[in-house]
Amino acid sequence: MALIDVRALSFGYGAAGPLVLDRLSLTIEAGERVAILGGNGSGKTTLAHWLAGWLPRPGMEPRGGEMLAEGRPFPQWSALDRATAVQFVGQVPMQQLSGFAFTVYDEIVFGPGNLGLPAEEIRARAEAVIEACNLRHLLDRDPFTLSGGEQQRLSIAAALVMRPKILVLDEPTGNFDPESRDSLLDQIRRLPADLTIVLCDVALKPALAVAHRFVLLDEGRIVADGSAHDVFRHPAAAAVFGVPAVAEAAALLRAAGRWPAAAELPLTLAAATALFREAAAC
Amino acid sequence: MLKVEGVAYHYPGGADVLADVTFSAGPGEVLALVGRNGAGKSTLLRLLNGLRKPTRGTITVDGMNTADTPVHLVSRAIGTVFQAPEQQIFNATVRDEVMFGPRNLPIPPEERERRVAEALARTRLEAFGKHHPLDLDQARRRFVALASVLATGPAALLLDEPQRGLDARNAALLEEIVRAEQAAGRCIVIVCHDMEFVARLATRVIALAEGRLSADLPPLAFFTDPALTAQASVEAPDMVRLSTALSLPPVLDPAAFAAAWPPLPPQFRKS
Repeated sequence: MALIDVRALSFGYGAAGPLVLDRLSLTIEAGERVAILGGNGSGKTTLAHWLAGWLPRPGMEPRGGEMLAEGRPFPQWSALDRATAVQFVGQVPMQQLSGFAFTVYDEIVFGPGNLGLPAEEIRARAEAVIEACNLRHLLDRDPFTLSGGEQQRLSIAAALVMRPKILVLDEPTGNFDPESRDSLLDQIRRLPADLTIVLCDVALKPALAVAHRFVLLDEGRIVADGSAHDVFRHPAAAAVFGVPAVAEAAALLRAAGRWPAAAELPLTLAAATALFREAAAC
Repeated sequence: MLKVEGVAYHYPGGADVLADVTFSAGPGEVLALVGRNGAGKSTLLRLLNGLRKPTRGTITVDGMNTADTPVHLVSRAIGTVFQAPEQQIFNATVRDEVMFGPRNLPIPPEERERRVAEALARTRLEAFGKHHPLDLDQARRRFVALASVLATGPAALLLDEPQRGLDARNAALLEEIVRAEQAAGRCIVIVCHDMEFVARLATRVIALAEGRLSADLPPLAFFTDPALTAQASVEAPDMVRLSTALSLPPVLDPAAFAAAWPPLPPQFRKS
């Protein structure tokens, strides 16, 4: 049985709003690292909310199809079971701080405390996520005084401490400097292998660092599902990711007859450097 | 138009977030404000738009000293698009949101209407005037915030991570608007972590490191100084890195690279 099974799901906000998800089908197995990519308004965040169990809710029902987690729709799950099955980390970390904690440590143990776990168990879980998310030096700080990057690490820790099977991340590194972004992505990459990760993003870079499977959404439908290459080659990709500057440079040279017509345009800096070095050496 | 002289700032009871920052900017300049998370960029933005007052030093915006000018007057001269549009949107429809600024300006009603229509057209939001702004996707929310600022016609614009979360199509629209504002003589300050975006738009890079100004340079000069980029936790744009790696004169954009690239040896040339 698939961990997540989205079956021909059609969904729009309100009774008459346009379809945001259009007969969308997607299966995710346990332990997969899936990037859901797409442009603004393609349905990424809405799909993330379905995967996280925030949808459906009263007044926001599907217009067709269904989504099953371990064979059952989320509304049939108890709140307790759902909280330990899936956790969501959104784009604005400050919005998901509980507001009940005066220190980073209290924020981390807030969720497991609500599960009624024994104190020893809570302490052990907290220790593990403090390490994984590099928070040890911040434990006594007020969560609301942390920087955006630190708050995002705390949000991920507060999600992981619930020991979910699935972690859904919605553009987790959007406003990070490269150092903070790389450090967070590195920490996400090193999370336990049995944790299923779904990362929704408009940018390719974070997805390349985390995912093994790449899904491209366009107007609420999946138009590509496979490697990063499959996604990048899709005609809808240019409006989402743009043309990398290195590919544009090669295209200009090709147009001027100064780049071999048969050679593929490079998409990354590393590929461009290698290709141009090779050309220069000839 | 913007003058920052010896500015320092600390939050109540805290250490200095900014110390002795000095720079100025004139019409038609696009300044990229860069630096690692926590370097003081957002604080500087809030000083420039008068939401906070410097602890030391002075900030002058269009001739007004922000320390003794009411915020609503400073904000007529310098419009801010915050990082999260939700922080500044409060009206029930897109049109009302964009009209809010002009309605509070001493201009005739027909001029207000003209400005709102123009701002909605420039941000491709004409069809969404009656929508609730928060029903729109993230990109359109950002453009609602931008339209509401454009409609007030400020002399300077502050954009905090405006390209964040935008797909290529919307980033291109944003660039088009910034270039038009630049051509119209506005002074624009952009806080940005996306150096490809900075390379395409900025005329100067202002870098902050630990609350101090670590650079005030043209983009190419900044990006080719590894010590400065490392200090600001900035990754030079791909074209700079590519041209440097190939021992070519460093360039910022693909066209300059194509011009600098040596002709191909015979076996690569078209027959």
